[in-house]
Amino acid sequence: MTYLAVCAQQSSEHKVLSFAAKAADVLRFAAIDRIGRDAQGELSGFQRPQVAAHIREIRDYLEKPDAVLPNPIVVAFTDRVSVEDLGNGAVQLAIDMSSSVPGLVVDGQQRLSALADLDRDFQVFVSALICRDEAELRRQFVLINNTKPLPKSLIYELLPTVGDLPPRLSRRSVASDLTARLNFENTALKGYIKQHTCPEGIIADTVMQKIIMESLSNGVMRELIRGAKGEERCVRLMSNFFDAVKKVWPEAWHGQKPNTSRLLHGAGIQAMGDVMEVLAERGEARTVEDFRTGMECLKDKTAWTAGEWHMDGEVRRWNGLQNVNRDVALLKHYLVGIVKADLRKKAKRAPAPLLEPTADRS
Amino acid sequence: MGGPRPCLERNPVDLAAHHQAQRSSGAHRARSRAGGSMKFIFADSLDYVDPAFDFIADRSPAERQPYWDDAYPHEILGYAPYDGVLVSRGIVGDHRVKGKYTASQARRFRLVGARKFLRLDKPEFAHLDIFGDCGAFTYVQDEKPPYTPVEMAEFYDECGFTHGASVDHIIFDFDAGLAGLAGGSTDARQRFDITLENAEGFLREAKVMDAGFTPMGVIQGWSPGSMAEAARRLVAMGYDYLALGGMVPLKSPEIKLCLEAIRDTVPASTRLHILGFAKADDIDSFHGYDISSFDTTSPLIRAFKDAKQNYYLPGDGLALRYFTSIRVPQAIENPKLQRAVKKGMFRAEELVRLEALALGSLRAFDRDEAGLEETLHHVLVYSAPLVEEKPYEDCAASPSLARLAERYRTTLAERPWKQCSCKICRDAAIDVIIFRGSNRNKRRGIHNLAVYQDHIERLDLKRAVEPSDDLPRRLCAAEQ
Repeated sequence: MTYLAVCAQQSSEHKVLSFAAKAADVLRFAAIDRIGRDAQGELSGFQRPQVAAHIREIRDYLEKPDAVLPNPIVVAFTDRVSVEDLGNGAVQLAIDMSSSVPGLVVDGQQRLSALADLDRDFQVFVSALICRDEAELRRQFVLINNTKPLPKSLIYELLPTVGDLPPRLSRRSVASDLTARLNFENTALKGYIKQHTCPEGIIADTVMQKIIMESLSNGVMRELIRGAKGEERCVRLMSNFFDAVKKVWPEAWHGQKPNTSRLLHGAGIQAMGDVMEVLAERGEARTVEDFRTGMECLKDKTAWTAGEWHMDGEVRRWNGLQNVNRDVALLKHYLVGIVKADLRKKAKRAPAPLLEPTADRS
Repeated sequence: MGGPRPCLERNPVDLAAHHQAQRSSGAHRARSRAGGSMKFIFADSLDYVDPAFDFIADRSPAERQPYWDDAYPHEILGYAPYDGVLVSRGIVGDHRVKGKYTASQARRFRLVGARKFLRLDKPEFAHLDIFGDCGAFTYVQDEKPPYTPVEMAEFYDECGFTHGASVDHIIFDFDAGLAGLAGGSTDARQRFDITLENAEGFLREAKVMDAGFTPMGVIQGWSPGSMAEAARRLVAMGYDYLALGGMVPLKSPEIKLCLEAIRDTVPASTRLHILGFAKADDIDSFHGYDISSFDTTSPLIRAFKDAKQNYYLPGDGLALRYFTSIRVPQAIENPKLQRAVKKGMFRAEELVRLEALALGSLRAFDRDEAGLEETLHHVLVYSAPLVEEKPYEDCAASPSLARLAERYRTTLAERPWKQCSCKICRDAAIDVIIFRGSNRNKRRGIHNLAVYQDHIERLDLKRAVEPSDDLPRRLCAAEQ
């Protein structure tokens, strides 16, 4: 097989060149050599196994007619290739296919696997690296695949500006958008959320996105966002709720940080997310006043900034709660239990009309 | 010796006519609950499938949202293949017990209630019961149950259950030979006391809160005698619906001994439920024990947990027939195959090729475009890495492959999926018999539920139409 390629002047030890080829052809001249051991325990190969979900996501994208794949598949050769200089950086690459597959895929195996089942004549760029031996080839594999991923919070903040995302990311994108609106519009949380572009914020954006995503998938916002002005109403609901939180616990909110108040900490915010759900679903709370009344029952039972939590026979110092699943679940259970008991009490009281029905809704 | 004392509750002629009418009425086959036929309660654990699953592309739509876009058995079949659903607290889970529900699903369950969560909040499902229990197997190792009677009663009440079981603690070391309260280890006696104490508190709480559910007292014991004694005390507390717990590890004859001892002790009007009835296939032999209800998940589970009996069809007379499903695991998702790839025993690309060959020939076989032996061969070539962890050439003569071949041959030759007219088999065709991924396996399980429900219905009919020879004693019991 021969390809017309461009050669880059990089190293005297190796040759680096680039050309376009069909995915099926790449798989003919390059193999995916998975890491394993032979009977003697000798290590061979280097690639990880295929990741089905990843391949599926890539394939979903590549099936679209406007799909592009600008980053190249990296293939390495140690021998059985020859390069003929055509001048001006152009070269003719000849791959000897007479015996077994001469090249190895160093980067892009999942992309290749996705392309392999695709019914499209899709060409990809191939960066070919001609190295002196196997050891060098393995070194390239480690270097190429050991890059540092972008910070999550940067990616998440960019999501709302990117269209046509895979569903996994588009759900995150909605939550990210709502989080940004809470942080930059006129809401109770304005400036409170720590984002890549708002480093002085206090509440972690990922925590805020978490409670929003949960609400969007199984909670009150699921219905809310589908209606007219859905996003607007979600932002309002969250803002009203946290406005009420500030009113119920002003001393645990104002001037505090996650390490001085559990209310602004990942554990507290997540637990309060559940309190919002209960009040919104069961108590049909929507306004600041609805939420504030609903949380009165919690006022004296919390230890956000000092003292101890007495939960379910478990005693924790105020700062003994961490942002780990178990602690979050414990706090949720405790707070939600109090709110539910209060709602039950009020519901039982409701049928017997009071002399002044508005009196207890001060 | 007491012996079974079932009552004759329905007029046989009327029942047969009624049944006929139900069958022809089409869409919803709501069974009459006025009579006393045995209720089959399905123990759910988020057993739904994706109606939009694409068998050829082998995937759900990319935008599928689990649960919301999925269908429960009563949704995909268009009718409920059970008389009710049981939800265990342990399956829902909470901050102490990790359930099968995600935390946000559990939260939603508790906010909107069981009926809405299970999407049974439609008129055609209004007759379905929703049973609740604690899921005692999830805390079997603990000294005490993690739930108090008060919180369980509140849980059932706020989630809208129709029936709620008291807080029990499983007892092991069953001894069929012990009479009365003899025997029983210290641990067994402690659990016996805990269970009864909890039952007392539970009933009291349910009354105080004017609960919307029927409380059921759970029986735990180490012998038929101790269970009868537990039942007697539960009745004395005021329970008229009892549930037998801890039956899962027991064999059918042992369960029958317990039922006999209990029936001898409690009034004929006391209803009995069997919790987690693993012997569901043997239900016809339990007909004499006047069981009001039982819950099981076995027809569904057997579809993918049993080595051989994966697909149900009605058999001759009152029997069921079983077929082995054909395993074609996902080459790049199956953990066992993935391990073999990691170790370098197989190349992933080779497995993918064999997998495609097996699936392709099964579908061709279904269209009559491939022969049985050829299809079977492709399936076995791909089975070898899974069963023997060797290439087919190296183990073609292995006994386990030979046994597999025998069962697969029967399945392919009889084409059972073509003998069933349920919606699942009509839509999925041969894919319903392929053992591969949740969407095929659970579909097969749901098909089994439908066959099983018909099975129960036929048994109920038989009981009413052909009373067995101890009729006098039954009549006597019924008149009491």
